[in-house]
Amino acid sequence: MPSMNAVLFLSFLLFSVGVAGVLIRRNVLIILMCVELMLNAANLNLVAFARHSGTVNGQAFALLVMGLAAAEVAIGLALVVALYRKKDTIQVDQINLLKG
Amino acid sequence: MDSLLALIGNHLFHLLGLMAVGGALGLIFSKNAIHSVLGFLFCMLCVAGCYLTLSAEFLAVAQLLVYAGGIVVLFLFVVMLVEVTKYKEKGLFQTQAPWAIGMVSVGAVAIISVFWRTFFPADAVKALTLSPELAQGLDVANQNAQAVSRGLFAQFLLPFEILSVILLVALVGAVVLAKSERV
Repeated sequence: MPSMNAVLFLSFLLFSVGVAGVLIRRNVLIILMCVELMLNAANLNLVAFARHSGTVNGQAFALLVMGLAAAEVAIGLALVVALYRKKDTIQVDQINLLKG
Repeated sequence: MDSLLALIGNHLFHLLGLMAVGGALGLIFSKNAIHSVLGFLFCMLCVAGCYLTLSAEFLAVAQLLVYAGGIVVLFLFVVMLVEVTKYKEKGLFQTQAPWAIGMVSVGAVAIISVFWRTFFPADAVKALTLSPELAQGLDVANQNAQAVSRGLFAQFLLPFEILSVILLVALVGAVVLAKSERV
């Protein structure tokens, strides 16, 4: 059984990589994947604390988060496809329709 | 098998965690979007392995089904659909990328230096239990799927049903958003 600190550290690293990816990349698809990565880091934390408290609640909640992540990806990718039809790009710095 | 997993579980977790971070770094630094998706897939598989070493077996299988089976395929479809290679010459990274990396590293160092002082003790992990009225007739410490289902359908029933409605709305919304306007 891995120690609590190792799990928290791994989850922290994955979350940091996700944040860095959201901040530095221009491609919308990769930004969406980084958001998924952050949700996964949160899930790992939930599982770790479920082990820590000895109850099953964290794991059940992680399952709910997983379902929500699937819904979020479906909507996000539909938005990307609609945006690609409209604007013919998926680079975030060229999506400036609101600028007027 | 259980004793073997208990014996090597710790090292296995460290190995899988390193591989997961490697996959995540490959995800954010690779030039080709397909390679990014593959790095994402690798990372998700390694996280599923981490769930296994944390003895959350049901969650590990759900992770495999949802991420490797569903989400990665969806991402691959969209990457094939939009022609990413057309924009390759425009540059991969935002102009503020060095600043962003610097800020994330500063935040990481700050959080680690706080976190470093508050270690959890080595015996901080416990066997899984349910509340006594839910755990009747179950050996919950050994049967993860039963325990999770009891928790999900007894304590988290309302969020579970709300989630099913959210999934339905997302399904219809994705179809409406992605269909072409002429039809």
